[in-house]
Amino acid sequence: MISVGLVYFMLIAMAYGLLWRVSKEKTDQSLMVARKALVSLLPLLVAIFSLVGLFQEFVPPELIERWLGAASGGEALIVGGALGAVAIGPPLAAFPLAGSMLEAGAWAPAVAAFIVSWISVGVITLPYEASVFGSRFALLRNVLSFLIALLIGWLIGMVL
Amino acid sequence: MSRLRDFLRFFGAHWLLLLAIALYLWAVVVSPERAAAAATVSVRSLLSVALLVLAVMGLVGILQVWISRDLVARMLGKEAGLKALLLAAVCGMVLIGPAYIVFPLLMSLRLQGARWAVIVIVLASYTVKLHMIPLEVGFLGWQFSLLRIVLTLVFAIPSGLAMEAFLDTFETNRSSLPGDAHD
Repeated sequence: MISVGLVYFMLIAMAYGLLWRVSKEKTDQSLMVARKALVSLLPLLVAIFSLVGLFQEFVPPELIERWLGAASGGEALIVGGALGAVAIGPPLAAFPLAGSMLEAGAWAPAVAAFIVSWISVGVITLPYEASVFGSRFALLRNVLSFLIALLIGWLIGMVL
Repeated sequence: MSRLRDFLRFFGAHWLLLLAIALYLWAVVVSPERAAAAATVSVRSLLSVALLVLAVMGLVGILQVWISRDLVARMLGKEAGLKALLLAAVCGMVLIGPAYIVFPLLMSLRLQGARWAVIVIVLASYTVKLHMIPLEVGFLGWQFSLLRIVLTLVFAIPSGLAMEAFLDTFETNRSSLPGDAHD
């Protein structure tokens, strides 16, 4: 992962170099936005990776297998989707946790449903979404997104 | 409303950290050795993604400053038909920012006359999270990432059209727009 990070980091650094030539002012602004995003994300990053460590050390694989394992089939898919639906936080947080789940023996479709539902379904933020779009829209969109998350999870499992 | 929003923002940012601290305290009490082992895993995995995270934030900076949200909104408001739907899928992918900014932006677009399908499709492809993909690939592999993105996009337009059909039917019965404007 470090080499992937290095390549990606160099690409972004190059992009900044090119943009610097186009507009020094906007590039400075970009750097500022990036710094602000990083600073505001730092507590979350520390939290996620703390949890990843605890997860690997303390969560017994049997537990993961029982709830999210391939043997549980459709139930595991729904558990994964439901976990993602109640979680809030950027997808940045979902990926390391999902990685730990996979390592502990979770079924790939359940993990995929977890991720897709984490990003697209927001039970906790539902009141806010309803206040912006109306409750009919918010409810409908979340239910639909949840079903699609299960479907995508299942399809990913079929292919992988 | 703004107090609720502040609360959600604070809660969204810090609930996990509070949880992690509490769990670590519990772990130290239960077994200091295993807590130390967990901490080693934590630090090692955090360090392994440090560069990636820096790069992701760098891209966020670029996209947010160089792609104007207003321009995206204007383009989406003008188009109709299939072109609008495809454009919505593309715009959703490059749209970056938290939901509390993106939601009101899209609702204002709706009030300016954009189709419901456009709004739903943007929200669907907004979940692609293009800038996070290297991180996703790092943890879950490129096949996983690619499949997730393709499937997300495949389902975006049908679900947008389905929701539009439903909402429009309802609205013609009531002949008014639901929700308030938050510009």
